Amino acid sequence: MPARRRRELLAAYLLLAPAALLVFGVLAFPFGWEVWISLTDSFVQRTSTTFIGLANYAEFLRDPSFWRAAANTLGYLVITTTLKLAVGIGIAVLLSKPFPGRPLVFIAVFLPWAYPGGLAYVGWYWFMIPPLHSAFSTFFANINYALDGTLGYGTWAFISLIMFNVWRGGSFVGILLLAALNGIPEDLFDYAVLEVKSAWRKFWMVTVPLLRPFLALAAFLSITSAVADLGNVWMQSGHRDVYPIVWTQAFHLAIIGGEWGKAAAESLILLPVLVLILFVCFRLLEPLEEDPA
Amino acid sequence: MRARRRFGRFIQGLLLVLLAVYSILPIYLVTIESLKTIDEDVYGNPFYLVHPNFEWYQGLFEEQEWVIGNRVAHHTVPFLVWTKNTAIVFTAALVVILATSLAAAYALARLRPPGWRWWRRALLATFLIPQTILFLPLYHFVFRLRLDDSLLALVLTYPMLAIPFCVWLLSAYFQKLSPDIEDSAYIEGANRLTAFIRIVLPMSWPVIVAAGLFALGVISSDFILAGTFLPNVWHQTIAVGLATMDVSLEDLTVVSGISLGGLPVLVIAALLASTYVRGLTAAMIEGA
Repeated sequence: MPARRRRELLAAYLLLAPAALLVFGVLAFPFGWEVWISLTDSFVQRTSTTFIGLANYAEFLRDPSFWRAAANTLGYLVITTTLKLAVGIGIAVLLSKPFPGRPLVFIAVFLPWAYPGGLAYVGWYWFMIPPLHSAFSTFFANINYALDGTLGYGTWAFISLIMFNVWRGGSFVGILLLAALNGIPEDLFDYAVLEVKSAWRKFWMVTVPLLRPFLALAAFLSITSAVADLGNVWMQSGHRDVYPIVWTQAFHLAIIGGEWGKAAAESLILLPVLVLILFVCFRLLEPLEEDPA
Repeated sequence: MRARRRFGRFIQGLLLVLLAVYSILPIYLVTIESLKTIDEDVYGNPFYLVHPNFEWYQGLFEEQEWVIGNRVAHHTVPFLVWTKNTAIVFTAALVVILATSLAAAYALARLRPPGWRWWRRALLATFLIPQTILFLPLYHFVFRLRLDDSLLALVLTYPMLAIPFCVWLLSAYFQKLSPDIEDSAYIEGANRLTAFIRIVLPMSWPVIVAAGLFALGVISSDFILAGTFLPNVWHQTIAVGLATMDVSLEDLTVVSGISLGGLPVLVIAALLASTYVRGLTAAMIEGA
């Protein structure tokens, strides 16, 4: 290897180091701890912990309440991601053509995501599940009772969580896809119009395939943000174990139950599914990683 | 045919109005509720405001002296302290995130160490580790470093939430930037660093804005880490402070705090929104 290239490589690793340290370095210990503890019977009041292998995981697989939570989790991820992509595509298509007043609508659409999430959670809690009397509380309490009464306790909290995540995330996806549409050469669309006449077919046969890598990126980011919202909402909402979702259940086990071993196992148990999603997204993302021709 | 086009335009306009209303409604509701008197809040119409007043905002800054532990507190609601804390944490975290991401992105896209694509993917993959109970060991980690109850704990942990995507975005952009751009500077005798600072950095301004706004969006939606690492009321950020403060019934101080805390961010976002989109386009598609 020529000396010049060696110096370049050294520089490359030096420049990479701070970012890598802040991500892998900070995560290594907590993630390692979580994996290790999930293989033990760690309980907050017990001083000794014993290695018990995969017993925690096996126990969950036999537990019907875990499977219910797993189904809810899958539903939550599928519903939020689909809605966010739908809202996002709608935003991008509507805003991609010029019309009078476009800057104003554009900024309005940008706001849900730009509005600080930490504050929006507090707002979500104060409006959807009001802790005190206000003009909203009767309205939302009625929805709450009606839904919880017919579909089971926690339904409204679950739905409001989806609404919140879609409101905030849909805006992010919309802006991302708008940026993509802005950059795709107009010609590609023009050629397509010669081939397909109906607007609906044009949408499915031209717009969606052209946007595919960007949709994959948006889906990946929106799934991770949907998972992140769960923890934040758990911290925020009065009723903790809102609707059994795998990760909120794990929270509950860890904080209220003190069963760290089981909680760690439960929060890691869906990792294979997430890794699968990751690989699909990476596959679809490849066109964005190409060097320019 | 003309009639159909007009109908299409009408539908498009309607959808756009609906979209704008849908996007703004929650923010609008929070804002008007924070301006209501308690009577109007309970009995009035939730959708509009008749008698605006600023009593809840005054509540955020109300002075009162009492003793906590062995110190004298001057504000009923330490809103100014929270604002200061939030500003410090966000600025510091943002600087750390952008500096490290720029360096890493440049290294991956321009110096191409072996497996550079995989570095980028491995960073993105960390987004998948469920954060749910990660804060337990993270607290342990922070405690060992003696950073608990210190804003530094957040400056240390926030970057991991944003760096992966920022690196992806910035390196995708640098990758698409033609090498000719710096070559002319090398001919003039500049070294890599000067060429980067003088030529590449000014060109990359929209992408840096995009990365920065993304980072701001991610760290401003954190709740768990700030809530766990900062148990002391005087050390909290706005979001955690407002969520955990004691409220009496008939008290909308929290709502006014939300609306006041969101204001500066809304202004910044509105000013930078179009740069943000330009930056995303540049990183994902072209190179300019």
